Amino acid sequence: MTFSLWYRIGLPVLVAVVLVAIWQFLSVAGVLNPVTFPSPFEIARAFGTLVTRGYFWDATWITLSETLFGFIIGASLGLVIGALTGTFRTFRTAFYPWVVAFQNTPRVALAPIFLTWFGFGITSKIVMAAVICFFPVVINTVAGIAGVDENAKTLFRTLGASKTQTFFRLTLPGASAVAFAGIKTALTLALLGAIVGEFVGASEGLGVLIKELNFQLEVAMGFAVVLFLAGIGLALYGLIELVEKRLITWARD
Amino acid sequence: MTAQKDSAGTGEDITLKGVSKTFATASGPLPVLRDIDLHIKAGEFVSFVGPSGCGKSTLLNIIAGLVRHDSGTVTVGGKPPREGRDDIGFMLQKSVLMPWLNVTKNVELPFVISRRRGPKTAGRIAELLALVGLSDYATLNAWELSGGMQQRVALARALALDPKVMLMDEPFSALDEFKREHLNIEVADMSDRFGQTTILVTHSISEAVLMSDRIIALGANPGRIVGDIAVDLPRPRNPDMVGSDPFQKISNEVRAALLGKVEAN
Repeated sequence: MTFSLWYRIGLPVLVAVVLVAIWQFLSVAGVLNPVTFPSPFEIARAFGTLVTRGYFWDATWITLSETLFGFIIGASLGLVIGALTGTFRTFRTAFYPWVVAFQNTPRVALAPIFLTWFGFGITSKIVMAAVICFFPVVINTVAGIAGVDENAKTLFRTLGASKTQTFFRLTLPGASAVAFAGIKTALTLALLGAIVGEFVGASEGLGVLIKELNFQLEVAMGFAVVLFLAGIGLALYGLIELVEKRLITWARD
Repeated sequence: MTAQKDSAGTGEDITLKGVSKTFATASGPLPVLRDIDLHIKAGEFVSFVGPSGCGKSTLLNIIAGLVRHDSGTVTVGGKPPREGRDDIGFMLQKSVLMPWLNVTKNVELPFVISRRRGPKTAGRIAELLALVGLSDYATLNAWELSGGMQQRVALARALALDPKVMLMDEPFSALDEFKREHLNIEVADMSDRFGQTTILVTHSISEAVLMSDRIIALGANPGRIVGDIAVDLPRPRNPDMVGSDPFQKISNEVRAALLGKVEAN
């Protein structure tokens, strides 16, 4: 097992080290323009400078808040709408076609509208994040409910379970594994929504920082922020996976 | 195991008079059961045997209260069938354990749903797990068990509220031959011991003969009773009986009842 662990972690790390080394070599050799394509070393140094600046941490805090609030609102709404859609036929018939239609419009295009509605503050980004992460939760919740075992429903009927009992003791836990896959996607999308919202118009946040740094031709720092965002995305994903492992202990194949 | 009936849990009579059922399908009405008359005595072990499409599962579902019949009367213990009757236990083809609950919690489900969980429940569950031979697995997760063990949990769950009637729809058909035979014998012994009225739906003639006091052979299109055969083999039953002459004789009788009517059509 130790071997396979080294193998699983060591091999991708090796790939990264080799790629970074090639990149550094091309920079030192003068193949890459240091202004538009800074070397890994430059980016690392820029990151070292950034972390000492208060505005960087303020921006991080803003973007994280937008992401998490947007995620909580979007995912909760998605769960409720998904549960209603999956449970009540009339609700499904009336609303689900519109949910699907809305899902197929590029929601990023709504960002300027949210800006005029909710202003330059954090609200418009929260709304953007929520709207973008809402759909995978709805769709997965509906799919999860549809996938609940028919035999289990029959069993609950023979036991004389009420609708409420069936919902809380069968439908909800039965759908949770599939619904959670949507929640995982949602968290990643929420971060995307927050950044898109900031790009379209904001005064603070990591998206704003990236834009400003690019205007000032501080490309190394821009790169550093992008890599930092990648790290945030990974960390959030890791956290939600931990939560999933805690909540859904039975879905291991 | 003894052949002596336990007086604590006596079974209930099941009576069907002129029961018919037609399903509405896309290609028009499909008659599945016509004019079923049947009386099952308290404590009797009866098998419904027949080809697919003979309506044997529908008949069981009507007795369980899962499906409404179109005409005729059905009574279980003198009352019309209904979902959620504590005196009726039901076992499906699949074990349908809740994977998010451990073995104990799965067996507890009927108590929870009927709001009967009380101070005595834990003791009763321990008793049930001992009965199906799973005492050592009480805290395991459902998905950690083998197929045979999962069906044992399902059996314990069906027995949880001490039903007077056990309805089983091909309960062990997903298991391999050996495990299936083993569980069949155990179920036959249990119903013998507890005196429940038991109905088993199966398409295996030898399974029906091995377990039952009486076999109802059903013909298809529409489903109707084509044979009512008594199984006068001694109890407790054991797998060695399968090869014996009386066993073969009864099996042939059932087969003749099933085939005879098919040829007559």
